[in-house]
Amino acid sequence: MVLGEPVLRATALQKRYKRVQAVAGVDLEVRAGERVALLGPNGAGKTTTLMMLLGVVTPDTGRVVVCGHALPKHRSQAMEHVGFAAGYLPLPERLRVREFLELFGRLYGMSDPTPAVQLGLERFRISQLASAMGNELSSGQRTLVGIVKATLNRPALLVLDEPTASLDPDVARRVRLGLERLCDEEGTALLVTSHNMVEVERLCERVVFISSGRVVANGSPAEVAAHFGQTDLEEVFLHLAAGTDSDGERP
Amino acid sequence: MKWIRVRAIAKRHSFALLRAPQRWFDVAIWPCVDAVMFGAIGVYFSRQAGSETNGVAYLLTGIVLFHVLFQAEVSLATGFMEETWSSNLLNLMTTPLREVEYVAGVVLFGLVKLVIGVGTVTLVAIGLFAFDVTDLGFALIPLVLILLLVGWSLGLIVIGLILRVGEGAEILAWGLLALIMPLSGVFYPVSALPAALQPIAKALPTTHVFAAARDVIDGEPLPWEQVGLAAIGTVVLASLAVAYVLAMLRLFRSRGYISRHV
Repeated sequence: MVLGEPVLRATALQKRYKRVQAVAGVDLEVRAGERVALLGPNGAGKTTTLMMLLGVVTPDTGRVVVCGHALPKHRSQAMEHVGFAAGYLPLPERLRVREFLELFGRLYGMSDPTPAVQLGLERFRISQLASAMGNELSSGQRTLVGIVKATLNRPALLVLDEPTASLDPDVARRVRLGLERLCDEEGTALLVTSHNMVEVERLCERVVFISSGRVVANGSPAEVAAHFGQTDLEEVFLHLAAGTDSDGERP
Repeated sequence: MKWIRVRAIAKRHSFALLRAPQRWFDVAIWPCVDAVMFGAIGVYFSRQAGSETNGVAYLLTGIVLFHVLFQAEVSLATGFMEETWSSNLLNLMTTPLREVEYVAGVVLFGLVKLVIGVGTVTLVAIGLFAFDVTDLGFALIPLVLILLLVGWSLGLIVIGLILRVGEGAEILAWGLLALIMPLSGVFYPVSALPAALQPIAKALPTTHVFAAARDVIDGEPLPWEQVGLAAIGTVVLASLAVAYVLAMLRLFRSRGYISRHV
């Protein structure tokens, strides 16, 4: 993808689960090389939005296009350009790290995933885990392996759900540096959800705040904070979580 | 369909079997127990009857063929359950892997399990009861093919049920076969069933397969009309199973049931 070209375009996404309107009309665009955070309090609709962007959940209305491929019809082609990892996902128990990564390399169509696996393990400095079984890893190590998995196919769009939730500050920093290097070197666009506002301010150049299933702010961290009359994203988050959001306009 | 993805899934399931001793219960222990139990029952009743009958052959042929059905169904259903047990569904659903490639990969490795399972029953029957099911000859080929297709169809139905109601439906991987077994006349003709159950039994494709096998044991040629009925029933069942699992997959995506598996 050419830098600046949209890799993800979602328009008017809506999703209702029985009596709950989880997402109530989200528009989102992510461009090649851009690092975007999708933020919001628990229950704001972030994960449902991510699942719709990944084709795992079908929106009631709206449209998702990934690298020119519309979901759900062209889901398989679209996912060739996407990597996904979530901090809460375990690794299959009966696979070694290398086997797990090679499995996913092959699912992305690589006939020999070994070099990509090696590169990924080195990028996040976890080569020593290659022979470990999935159930022997700490939650932080599992998260790192998940991120390596998500980057094996050199995705145009990397989607990370709560990637640093279980990481200590040192490992979280290593993840952030690894992701920055990946985005800079390969032009990968990043879409990340997190509750760690400091991490987000360091990593992302744009944040999209969701509250009650709607986008209530979209801009740089400083712009969003200024829009809500707060000093930083942490304060914006607390402001929205307390239910004091009023206007719903974008900065 | 990309062959590399199919092979990757098959390889993933080979690791799951090799590294989980409890998985060998379905594949080797249960077939062994079944062969010993039904062979011994056959020997006992043959002696009680006081004459040479085909009792042992009926029972052992029945259990060997039932294990074709069992291994085909259970390998597909438990293969999918392996993903739910390890919370791997979301990982898989966010790759380019297509549903048909996933099923093909699980079925491919399921054939290995089937060879081990059916091979175990067959070898135990030969070793302990001097009964070789391959004496049935080429008649086995269409019968085994139909049972394979029925087993995979039932496996798809179980996957559809798990997609619909969650892990609570997992018991049906084995429970469905426990219903099918007595109704299919695996060891006896349909006429031995209570009259009320006979119409249900006759509607099952498996019933005609086991009836055809008993005809062959009795020295008659393969009854093609029974094979034909079984084949028609299998095509209907397979079509319904594919339609059902696709409908449940649409429902799974529509209702966001992935949240049950993370």
